[in-house]
Amino acid sequence: MFDISSFLISWFPLFGIYAVLSLCLNLEVGYAGMANFGLVAFYGIGAFVAGYTSITIFLTFYGYNYPIYSPEAIIAMGRVAGKTPWLNISVFILSLILAFLIAGLAGYLVSYPTLRVGPAFLGITILSFGEMLRVFMKHFAPTGGAYGMLGIPHPFAWIPDPAIKNTSFLILTLAILIGVLIYFELLVNSPYGRVLKSIREDETASLCIGKPVPQIKARLLFVASGISGVAGALYAFYLGAITPDMFITAVTFEVWSMVILGGRGNNFGALLGASVFSLLNRATSILNFLFSDLPIDPNYFRWMITGALIVIILMYKPKGIIAEKPIKTEAWKIFGAYGETKKKLIDSILRIIDYLKSAIYWLIGRETGYGPDIKGSKRE
Amino acid sequence: MDPILKVQNVSKRFGGVEALKDVSLEVKRGSVTGLIGPNGSGKSTLFNVITGFYKPDFGSVYFDGKRIDGLNPDEVYNMGIARTFQTPRLFGPLTTLENMMLSPKGQRGESLLRAPLRKTWLNEEMQIANEVKSLLKGFDMDGLYKMLASDLSGGHVKMVETSKGILGRAKLILLDEPTAGVHYAVGKNLFEYINYLRKTYNLTFFIIEHRIDLLFDYVDYVYVLHMGRLLSEGTPEEVASDPKVIEAYIGGA
Ligand SMILES: Nc1ncnc2c1ncn2[C@@H]1O[C@H](COP(=O)(O)OP(=O)(O)OP(=O)(O)O)[C@@H](O)[C@H]1O
Ligand SMILES: [Mg+2]
Repeated sequence: MFDISSFLISWFPLFGIYAVLSLCLNLEVGYAGMANFGLVAFYGIGAFVAGYTSITIFLTFYGYNYPIYSPEAIIAMGRVAGKTPWLNISVFILSLILAFLIAGLAGYLVSYPTLRVGPAFLGITILSFGEMLRVFMKHFAPTGGAYGMLGIPHPFAWIPDPAIKNTSFLILTLAILIGVLIYFELLVNSPYGRVLKSIREDETASLCIGKPVPQIKARLLFVASGISGVAGALYAFYLGAITPDMFITAVTFEVWSMVILGGRGNNFGALLGASVFSLLNRATSILNFLFSDLPIDPNYFRWMITGALIVIILMYKPKGIIAEKPIKTEAWKIFGAYGETKKKLIDSILRIIDYLKSAIYWLIGRETGYGPDIKGSKRE
Repeated sequence: MDPILKVQNVSKRFGGVEALKDVSLEVKRGSVTGLIGPNGSGKSTLFNVITGFYKPDFGSVYFDGKRIDGLNPDEVYNMGIARTFQTPRLFGPLTTLENMMLSPKGQRGESLLRAPLRKTWLNEEMQIANEVKSLLKGFDMDGLYKMLASDLSGGHVKMVETSKGILGRAKLILLDEPTAGVHYAVGKNLFEYINYLRKTYNLTFFIIEHRIDLLFDYVDYVYVLHMGRLLSEGTPEEVASDPKVIEAYIGGA
């Protein structure tokens, strides 16, 4: 039996986490042209910071003296995780803040020496940093080494009904995603966004019109890495258990695929990319579950489909599904054309409603013939 | 009057190539000064030293009485020197408007913290846009504000590049071969425009140019570089009749 609400509950938090990651990567790659090949490092840092902080605080609060990775600690966590709602919530918030700060600082420090040289140095430096960090964490006893941490207290562990508990987490993830989206939209539709794009296009020329490029990049990496860390923290709370091997380099490239597919330099593109890939992800695991004796593991298909999708999209839409647009600061209003864009806005809202309607009809399988003719409704 | 730019005994070497050898020169405030010389004589290198791209191996550069040769390119720009490159370097996928709007320095909305707070920068943004509009109108380009820079014609690109410095409140504008690759008439137009900008905005121009015939109609003073050394200087007439210059050009680099 396929149950839509449990599907949503299992898909949505992962989508939200990946969407935050792809928004961050898009800010770095799509806007500022910084090839961040080590996104996963900051994601992992966030997850480990959250796991470590929350378990440590809980154990200390309840007076346990076990190392956080010991079986006794895990059992103790299972006993106390649902007892004190206020502690769960405040530990959750504190962990998110710490994850932001520590991952952000790591991004700033790792990138700083490489910012004055070419973009490839940055990419390779962060990539190796991530790998080294993962290997290091596998041997770092205080966070559980290769086994990682178990029993990370869910922020809503105190809600007895699992459906409500999961829905609450889903809403929380959604709220954080929307917050990040709004923040990034405001951030890039500004003179700042314009500067980022100029750096992407020609760093030298940007420097020549007085933009302090290395400083701008370092600060951007602080913010984007910090928010990737928040995504990592969410992931840790969502799963309740983390190991270093969850943060392999492939995760970085999965997020890269989302950004390339959805459209670089466009937050909504990144969002679309994240939803396509996380759906694909879910779909293959559901296939795996439904047909247990397939000759090939559908999870391998996933990578093939990912590759095929990217090739196809890059062939037909080299800028991604949703192409980049000029930044919106209203400066163009000085040149007239007021009404024209307002009409365009209404048009595009109507079009989105059309798409949604047809998507819903398609989902519930009704043959209505209703819905936009995709080619016909394309304007200008 | 004191010179706006003073280059003193500057030398710059790239491995075995001595691109500049003990070059000293001055650019008078409010002048249009030319810099000519055969290919590879070190003209662009001199611009790169002035704008902070290269640190000179020896010597110093003063702008408005302040020493600038240790500064980074962004700091040099913020002091009031704008430049163009030998090959145009507009930001291709950005619109004409966006390209121009990038020039003003120290914009409030360019800070990471203020950017999301629209109210703090929207007024300034509109003022800049107004200024851009009147500049673009000056050469009949206001209709092209939303065209991508990569789609602009060569002549339009030159106009945009040349006038951008105005928005950055530059006092000195360095142009590296502004008329390269455009028709003679367009080049003449450009020089007329440069002359107009100089008068209207009290600017100083320092211009590298291979089209000497065109350049000499508009400059007050000319420096000639040859194999990294200053070969000659003077008014266009003096330089044109200097046998050393004639020999350098005819004899080849
Ligand atoms: N970054 C660099 N690395 C090595 N050599 C360089 C560099 N920049 C310039 N040169 C060398 O310095 C010399 C002067 O070059 P420059 O570009 O200043 O000449 P130019 O006068 O601008 O010539 P053109 O008229 O062709 O533009 C040349 O021999 C050039 O090869
Ligand atoms: Mg040159």
